Amino acid sequence: MLDLRNVRVRRGRRETLHDISVSLPAGQTLAVVGESGAGKSTLIAAILGLLKPSAGQITWNGASIQSIRPALVMQEPRAAFNPVLSLRRSIMEPVAAQGIALADGRLDRLCAGLELPLDLLDRRPTEVSIGQAQRAGILRALIASPPLILFDEPLSALDAVTQKHTARLISDLQKEEGFAALIVTHDLGYAVAHGDQIAVLKAGRIEEIADAETFATNPQSAYCQSLRAAAIALGGLEAAA
Amino acid sequence: MRSVLILVTVFVLLAGLGPMLAPYDPTAINIPKRLSGPSAEFLLGTDAMGRDVLSRLLHGARWSLGLAFLISVISLVIGTTIGLVAALGGRLADWVMMRATDTFLAFPELVAAIVIAGLMGAGTWSLIFALSVTGWMRYARVARGIGLSVQSRGYVVQAQLADMPGWSIARWHYLPSLIPSLTVVWTGMFARAILGISALGFLGFGVQPPNPEWGSMLLDARVHLRSTPLQMVWPGLAVVICVLAINLTGDALRDALAERDRHE
Amino acid sequence: MIQVIGGLLLRAIVVLSGTALLTFALLWNAPGDPAQTIAMARFDALLTEDVIDQVREEVGLNRSFWQAFWAWLGPLLTLDLGYSAVTGRPVGPDLWAAISYTFPLAFAALGLGLAISIPLAVIATKRPGGWLDRFAVGIASLGNAIPSYWLGLILILIFAVKLAWLPALGAATPAHAILPALTLGLGVAASLTRIIRSGILEARGQSFLPAFRRRGVSDRAVGRDHIAPHAAIPVITVFGLELAFLLEGLVLVEVIFGRPGLGTFLVEAIMARDFAHVQAVVVLTALVFVTVNLIIDLIYRVIDPRIGESDA
Repeated sequence: MLDLRNVRVRRGRRETLHDISVSLPAGQTLAVVGESGAGKSTLIAAILGLLKPSAGQITWNGASIQSIRPALVMQEPRAAFNPVLSLRRSIMEPVAAQGIALADGRLDRLCAGLELPLDLLDRRPTEVSIGQAQRAGILRALIASPPLILFDEPLSALDAVTQKHTARLISDLQKEEGFAALIVTHDLGYAVAHGDQIAVLKAGRIEEIADAETFATNPQSAYCQSLRAAAIALGGLEAAA
Repeated sequence: MRSVLILVTVFVLLAGLGPMLAPYDPTAINIPKRLSGPSAEFLLGTDAMGRDVLSRLLHGARWSLGLAFLISVISLVIGTTIGLVAALGGRLADWVMMRATDTFLAFPELVAAIVIAGLMGAGTWSLIFALSVTGWMRYARVARGIGLSVQSRGYVVQAQLADMPGWSIARWHYLPSLIPSLTVVWTGMFARAILGISALGFLGFGVQPPNPEWGSMLLDARVHLRSTPLQMVWPGLAVVICVLAINLTGDALRDALAERDRHE
Repeated sequence: MIQVIGGLLLRAIVVLSGTALLTFALLWNAPGDPAQTIAMARFDALLTEDVIDQVREEVGLNRSFWQAFWAWLGPLLTLDLGYSAVTGRPVGPDLWAAISYTFPLAFAALGLGLAISIPLAVIATKRPGGWLDRFAVGIASLGNAIPSYWLGLILILIFAVKLAWLPALGAATPAHAILPALTLGLGVAASLTRIIRSGILEARGQSFLPAFRRRGVSDRAVGRDHIAPHAAIPVITVFGLELAFLLEGLVLVEVIFGRPGLGTFLVEAIMARDFAHVQAVVVLTALVFVTVNLIIDLIYRVIDPRIGESDA
């Protein structure tokens, strides 16, 4: 279980995350929603250990978060891949670096699950579509079987059709592989559809945490109500009675 | 990149085969025939010691091009290391490395090399030291800039998250970005090294006689400007042709890279 | 702004101190016994151990490195350059005399360089890619590849030896400055032409220019008010590089033409192991160089305030 307790993060002189406490049980999905500048990227960087919290603890089952090597799926699919190397090389990086013996047929199985033809992996990132690059990015995150995967706006670079498709693939794989997913998004509809829990981040604080059902029907804070109304107006969320 | 390879190949052939094509021993003294003009026997004439100018010119390619190559590679290694330490070693390392770079840049490179080589005492080793130690700054700046920009790229972050060892990240993720730009800088510094070697040779601080080096040949020829003016022309022309070839290659490479970047 | 200037000044001071320390360390560790060299230069043949030791004592070569460094740096801060152990005279006046030969030459070369390169670049960019443009770029590339000392020798060969139009050696009359100034000026012109040319082309590519043209502003006015300032930016930036080029050329050109300027002063000092002279030239050059670069940096930040934000 991922556990953040009273986490504060400073960037330069400014504190960008104030007193964040949230937890995510193994195998479940936490969607973090917020406007740009709310501190979503900072939160991800802190969980990954790229930024050191100035106060508080981030743990996995009580142990240091670094010990489980959480993986990351990035917003810009192609940026996650070195342009001069084949996708395969980059995808196998975690396996090679950590000296993991890959189970027979794991790569084939994951590729099939992500609907990635095997020979596609020998191409360079610029030679595949954005959607394919993003699925390759998910493959790289999955390959070493980390118990926690962070998704930083995983769909925002994709077109609407690819978005739906990719979202479904992610949730199918999650059922198979059993990883915990922390998904940062500004898309309320996606958050409600795929999150077990939803945390709303505003100006570096958690405004509200609720399960998806409660959130979609009856959010407590005024800010979340306005978010919900806006999402319904834009057609990203269905109005529920 | 291909043009650079061709250029280097031509120079390697020139430095490798040039001496074999030389009709005479470049250091063989022949006083009776001294300061003779071009003839069938000595195509480009002889110098004040009666040595064959053509042979000295051809052997000189090995000295001038070989030393310039060595110097430009030594400064490449120094500069890239300093630049990457500055980019990746944290704020303090960055400040120290960049102020060191500024300090070395606070002085015209060739003047610094003249002072260093002159004070160390004339000779090939002080020449190499003087030109290498004053030639690394551009590499450092370029390597730092690229290091900083690559550091924040997604694939480097991913490699770090995957716990890839540092040397492996440097090899696979930094080097491919560094090579093109550093090659452009290198062509410029290679040309500068040729000019620097001959300038120091001309002042008498570089390669010492009787070794045939183009700059020191110019120094010898200068005294006999009135009697055998052509001898002053040849070594200079050799320098100009080599430097021009390198510069044009460097320009072409830079344009090709700019074009590629525009497309990406 | 005051903070920026303060930061730049601090940086300049750090750089200058670094240069002073490096130079001193280099001189201190130079091979050979400077006391012996100095004694030789002073007394020619009379070289006994006693004489050399006397010189060592007198010049202060028997002190520790840091003692000697502070003893030199202290007076330097009050602009006292000390005495030359070799000539026995104060350094200041001799250095001044050398500068009085170098400065006019440097300015003449710079002026000549600008006078050649600006018209050449303007003509070349009338039709980018045209034969005039390619010709100008070709000439400039060739010019960049020609070492100044060789060009100087060729000019001597043509104008002094063959044609006998101009004097070559020494600095007796203003006519003696023509060939050295031409040598350096052509080199400056070669490197400036390319920079000004690309500056003009870049300025012309700016998006605001078509708007001016549409509004009926004349080509001439656009060129004067908008292209010229934009083309000046890269020229200002490379001024520091140009100064370096000029100083490098000066050393060699002065030696070739036998002008008793700063370059000759430096080379002679190196050969005679005249530490005080070498230090004086090095510190002076670094001071000029750092000051010019400081001013360029400031001008640049005034023109374009974005610069320096990303730069550590």
